[in-house]
Amino acid sequence: MSPASRRSTGRPRRAVVLASIAIAATTLTACAAPKTGGADSGPVTLNVMINAGHDYKAYQSVIAAFEKKHHVTVNVQKYQWGDLQTKLVAGFRSGDVPDLVEEAGPGTAVQYGVQGNVLPLDTYIKRDGAAMKYPDDFQSTAVDARTYKGKTYSIPLHLSAAGILYYNKGLLKEAGYDKPPATWDQLKQVAKDTTKNGVYGLAVTNDPIFDTFLLQGGARLTDVASDKVLTPSSDATKSLTFLQDLVFTDKVAQPPVASSDYAGPQKLFSSGRAAMFMSGPWDLLPVREGSGDIDWGVAPPLKGKVQASALTGSGLMIPKKAKHPGLAWDLIKDLTTLKVELAATKESGITMPRKSWAASPQIADDPTMSVVAKTLSVAVAPDSALAAAGKNDQINDLWRAAYQKIVIQDAPVKQTMDQFRTSALGIIK
Amino acid sequence: MLAPAAVFFLLLYFAPIAFQLFQSLFSGANSDRFVGAENFIDAVTDPDVQAAFITTVLYAVGALVVGSVLGLVLAVVLNQALPGKAIFRAILLIPYLTSVAIIGLLWRNILDPYVGILNRILESVGLPTQSWLTTAPLAVIVGIAVWSSVGYTMVLFLAGMQGIPAEYYEAARIDGARPFRQFLSITLPLLAPTTLFVTVIGVINALQQFALPYIVTAGGPGNATTLYAYKIFNVAFSDSQFGYASALSFMLLIVILVLSLLQFRAARRWSS
Repeated sequence: MSPASRRSTGRPRRAVVLASIAIAATTLTACAAPKTGGADSGPVTLNVMINAGHDYKAYQSVIAAFEKKHHVTVNVQKYQWGDLQTKLVAGFRSGDVPDLVEEAGPGTAVQYGVQGNVLPLDTYIKRDGAAMKYPDDFQSTAVDARTYKGKTYSIPLHLSAAGILYYNKGLLKEAGYDKPPATWDQLKQVAKDTTKNGVYGLAVTNDPIFDTFLLQGGARLTDVASDKVLTPSSDATKSLTFLQDLVFTDKVAQPPVASSDYAGPQKLFSSGRAAMFMSGPWDLLPVREGSGDIDWGVAPPLKGKVQASALTGSGLMIPKKAKHPGLAWDLIKDLTTLKVELAATKESGITMPRKSWAASPQIADDPTMSVVAKTLSVAVAPDSALAAAGKNDQINDLWRAAYQKIVIQDAPVKQTMDQFRTSALGIIK
Repeated sequence: MLAPAAVFFLLLYFAPIAFQLFQSLFSGANSDRFVGAENFIDAVTDPDVQAAFITTVLYAVGALVVGSVLGLVLAVVLNQALPGKAIFRAILLIPYLTSVAIIGLLWRNILDPYVGILNRILESVGLPTQSWLTTAPLAVIVGIAVWSSVGYTMVLFLAGMQGIPAEYYEAARIDGARPFRQFLSITLPLLAPTTLFVTVIGVINALQQFALPYIVTAGGPGNATTLYAYKIFNVAFSDSQFGYASALSFMLLIVILVLSLLQFRAARRWSS
């Protein structure tokens, strides 16, 4: 090749290399966190992540008014809980976090807060708590579950408890029952008498987060302070054996289907294929809308060894790297007023953490809500030490697998419990 | 000439893998505690990881064998002069072209033992209902995976068959070889490169399968359908252990590389 031709091929080659590097650099820049506007960069967008089922009209009105008042755009992103967690955790790692996030339940905010990924809200509470009546007007179980070592990591948005017994009045009446069961023994008998013609007496959940048999049996999933799991052991064994027998011995409950969808029991109930199921207030609206002409009612949690329900209910937290924490806090204040709580309850049946909400005539005079209030009064909060240790999700995943082995695969209860105990204690310690 | 491609692979392929290997040396929710090779040791001794790997191997064998055989049979059938074969070929490809999320949700709803349409149809014709999602969940995942990819496998084999010179079959016919003999002595050997490609890609896809257990069964019941990639996802996004998840991912990469190399070596030995 002549020197002239070598020169003529060299320049185009260098140009191609430089162009490639420029394209790669541009691509990587485009993959960086999107700018949503800050104090110095024009219009402000407040990014909010909530559960897809909580986009109530009551909240939409608040957000519309907030946008007008603050001249901002609120970008509401809706996800199912699992996807929300995935997006949020990925966001913690990348730094691309929303400004405000709905947390899935007690312990979640504490877990992320102790990790340093969520802002403690005490400065804001000190400034605005009196006007919000926080924490005085909020149920102490909801407040305490979001506080660790004096720091508050989220504000309760909803207060719920799993354990409400939904029942088909018509099916129970056909079987000779005028009122729903109140104890485990009664539940088993009613379930036996209503199981026929392709209908199950009881629809059982696939997700132990919503299962209350363990608590009603007097047992706890974890007691981190004492290094114990499924304790007391005899109570836990009795609870899980009772549940397994309902499915495989008495055959009055269906083996649930393993999936990320926890609405299975409600769907079975609403299609008339189950006479009873246990859930929380979040199923009031789906049952109301999806059950056609089924005459249904709700009853307080059952009594096994004790009467108990599982404390649930979401809250609002601000990621540490949020671009607009002040605005996020202002939105929290607007979303958690008594007026908004009552409006959301009227729309969806969801239950709320304010004491004044529970005392208001709309709630106190409502027969369904009085059942819900009873459920909240016997609610047992999850082990806060587990959340603070950052092991909440690991233990819950292990427990879900063990629970499904017992309730779906008919695995030996004691052996499954022992395996779970060994794995869980390994994680906790 | 290779520089642009090299830059591309370096930035978008090798650099992330190197970063992942670096991250695997750390632990904690924010990956801020250096632990060296501890994550790798934990991964090898973790019974849940071992179980997930075994489940994945079972899934891979099932999906690969059933998918390849079915794809080959369909390709043989659709290579004949049949009326409407073009339409059948197109119909078989539709599941492959459909989003895996839609496929997962569709089959989850069809197979639900209580509210799914399959059991309603069985009931209406007097047949017993089935609870495959409960009693044979891994087989269900294999079945859905085969259903969604058999069209693609069929197309690959079909393309391979159509590259085989017709004279070979003519010569075999003249020598008195029947169709099955022709298939064994001509079609199968000459499809070896296609078969190698199908098995290599099949193994890689099977070992990386995540979406179907995530959508259809959430890894359950118990851990029955917790495949390795799903395990990695949970370790990362549910347990917030990104260092450990990185170690698991890197180990999967090594396994896939080793298996692929073994397959190529076996193919070279066989062809020589």
